[in-house]
Amino acid sequence: MKNKINIYLIEYAINAILRQKYKSFFVTTVFTLLTFLLTSVFFITNSIKHELDATVDALPQIIVQKIKAGRHYDIDADILDNLLEIAGVSDAVARVWGYYYFENAGVNFSVVGVDQFENQYKESFNKIVKKFDFDKLEADSSMVVGVGVKQIMLENYYTKYFNFIKPDGTLKKVTLAGVFDAQTSLESNDMIVMPKEIVREIFDIEEGKVTDIVVKVANPKEITMIASKIKQMYPDTRIVTSEDLKVSYQNIFDYKSGVFLALFIVSLFTFFIIIYDKSSGLSSEEKREIGILKAIGWKIDDVLKEKFYESFIISFFAYIFGVISAFAFVYIFQAPILRNIFVGYSQLKTTFELPFAFDVQTLFLVFFLSVPIYIAATIIPSWKVATLEADEVIR
Amino acid sequence: MNKKSKYLFYTFLTLLFLLVTEGVYLNSTKVISGESLAKKVAFVKISQLPDLAISTEATFVRHRSLGTVFSIYKDDGDLREYFPSTYAISHSHIINKKAIKIDNEK
Repeated sequence: MKNKINIYLIEYAINAILRQKYKSFFVTTVFTLLTFLLTSVFFITNSIKHELDATVDALPQIIVQKIKAGRHYDIDADILDNLLEIAGVSDAVARVWGYYYFENAGVNFSVVGVDQFENQYKESFNKIVKKFDFDKLEADSSMVVGVGVKQIMLENYYTKYFNFIKPDGTLKKVTLAGVFDAQTSLESNDMIVMPKEIVREIFDIEEGKVTDIVVKVANPKEITMIASKIKQMYPDTRIVTSEDLKVSYQNIFDYKSGVFLALFIVSLFTFFIIIYDKSSGLSSEEKREIGILKAIGWKIDDVLKEKFYESFIISFFAYIFGVISAFAFVYIFQAPILRNIFVGYSQLKTTFELPFAFDVQTLFLVFFLSVPIYIAATIIPSWKVATLEADEVIR
Repeated sequence: MNKKSKYLFYTFLTLLFLLVTEGVYLNSTKVISGESLAKKVAFVKISQLPDLAISTEATFVRHRSLGTVFSIYKDDGDLREYFPSTYAISHSHIINKKAIKIDNEK
């Protein structure tokens, strides 16, 4: 091993880097910036994916929606009983929910209806809403809102209640009963949860109709089979299974990080072309240096090794430094500016913290996209010069 | 090993140490805590709705995953890729470019 790593060549490489301090400094800075940018974007994407994956198992196993003329319509609540008769289905819940556009602020709220008698909600509510009496939700005609909704309401001088405008133009006053814990703001920021009856009134959804139906299956392996059975029974429905949701989550942000990666690759290769171009037109001084080294007995092998060490020191330093800065930028400073790429344009901005998700793949991807290519871009021109005769190079 | 090589060696060692320390620090402070995760799951159990509230400006991207993998636009069964539909999530790439030849008109 000792024979393979020649310490004198490393010393020579360090001296060579220090001799051209401005050039080395410039290359290292640009390289660090590029690595930093790419890893930061990947880290942000990974964090959001991680956040999504954390809750994916709590989502419904099968969602049944009615599709009419290519659009989503309210579905008959009667089919609930038929769905419950399918072997393997353990429960089915009809949901009433929709989007409420609050014109004053120009934002959309997601309004979700819950049933007071559905006791499974009680425990969940107690976990995420402070000082809250679940039983009073319906009796008082009240609602629980996300942090973002509460903020928008405050900005519009609604502190204790909110007036929803019904489709017929009349108002529906709903009291504010509580606010969801800020730790859930990535999920709950634009959400309003209230009793189903009030949601029906606000959206004018007639009795006997529901927005969609959620089906629970006892054995998860039967989800696909039951989904196809439902599709056969009701051909006008769209069935979304938990597997579909997982695939959808897997796809998330491919587009945005893809566009960014494409832009980044362009800039990365421009950088390498500049390096390659600069090195292949090696300055006469650098050429003479290689010539002299050859004349005093260095082999091509030695010259290439020295160039390898030189480029490796620069690129590896820049890579590590870029990754350290990206970690700090994304997870400690919460990626100012860059995270806006992934956040929508809505007025209803979410304040959230990017959770740390370590992904070795990202680090390898960035490493192989940058370090070996830089080394190649430096070694190849030197090899071209080193293969020439010494006297020819010096002359 | 001369002075400069030693400096280089120590620089790399410091950087690697910094990277590991940073990783350990982030892993102990910035991961989703058990309590926070339980709250998120509790909320999702109530709402039963997918996706995050980071793109709320348009109703068709808010709960994008409620469409099937094959429907780009939550309210439309079409497969085309266009801006709002792929704002956050890429469109399905598992499309048959050419349909299997089956004589449908008998």
